[in-house]
Amino acid sequence: MTLPQIIVDLLTLLFDMAVPAAICTMVLAGIALRQEGGVNFQAGGRFQRWALWSVILLTIPQLLSWFAAQGIAMPAQGGGISSSWVASLQTSFSGFVSNVVVARLTPVLAAFCVLKAALDAAEGNSPLGSIVSAIFLLSASGTVQLFQSWNSGSQFATTDMLTAAWNFLAGTILPEAAGLAIVGAIFNYARHRPFMPLVGSGLAFLSVSAIWKLVQAMAG
Amino acid sequence: MNLSNGLLNLTNWLGNVIMPTMAGLFAAAAIYRFSKAQPYQHLGYAALASLMCSGLLRAMESFSNQASWNNPDRYWISILTLVNWVGNVLLPLYGAGQVVLAVVHFAGLLERMTIGEAWVRNLVAAMCCFGLSGLLRLGEFWIQHGTAGVR
Repeated sequence: MTLPQIIVDLLTLLFDMAVPAAICTMVLAGIALRQEGGVNFQAGGRFQRWALWSVILLTIPQLLSWFAAQGIAMPAQGGGISSSWVASLQTSFSGFVSNVVVARLTPVLAAFCVLKAALDAAEGNSPLGSIVSAIFLLSASGTVQLFQSWNSGSQFATTDMLTAAWNFLAGTILPEAAGLAIVGAIFNYARHRPFMPLVGSGLAFLSVSAIWKLVQAMAG
Repeated sequence: MNLSNGLLNLTNWLGNVIMPTMAGLFAAAAIYRFSKAQPYQHLGYAALASLMCSGLLRAMESFSNQASWNNPDRYWISILTLVNWVGNVLLPLYGAGQVVLAVVHFAGLLERMTIGEAWVRNLVAAMCCFGLSGLLRLGEFWIQHGTAGVR
């Protein structure tokens, strides 16, 4: 059955809006990250869910190709939008995300996180959570680009992207976090607070992949 | 902008800029507590550790690099290496310090630093107050020359 042109245009519009929408969900993930602590996240919490939506939005064509491989009829992708007002809708949304969300709103949100860090420190709490969230928010569009570079193009691109994100966290981010753990351990030692958990977790940050292999060996 | 670079710069700034600066504050607090005959050692150690953030991280990296990244025993080996380092490097140094303290105690010097007779303590505290900058430079000198022991 041939779809009406307006439906085809709307489908194309939705596919084209996937990447800008992924940037929006990544910004929402940054806000959720601060709500969940800033240096940690809740299992099954909002940060995880928004980050997962970013991955799903970035891999919609590959995800649909898996359904197509099961024999389910999927709409054709690609091609331009013939309707001028649908095309203008797509241009407006992309422009809103790049000019308002990425260029102006996200830096302001990050600046408020820095303000929150100062207030956290004034209350005697660690400012690190707000600072890390500010860095996450400022790099939201860069993170989406990084995620796009992990798109394997296969039917399993969604899970491949999640695997690549895990590798990035375990191999790049956590070794950097080990340095922060050392700083935190010294501060805690000077203030008569427990510092050994930070020493142990600093070592663990440098060995997450090996701990994963250990757990696999235990389960296998 | 890039999340990894942002966190790396944050870590470098904290470890290489803020902590060496905080070392001066920790040393000043240690001198103040020493002058009041209160425990001050942890602040002195914290000042030294603040000057050694990079070195401590390199030490932890060398502990965890004893096995390959996908070796299930890597975490255990890293803790084992930490324990070996504490037992074979730190404790002998601490033991040497205890021998020095034993000699100093035997000579009766530390008795003159107690609350009852505090003139030596006050004298040493005054010397440290006047020479805090020099003490920090001395700590930095030790740490810079300590890198010769890094393999």
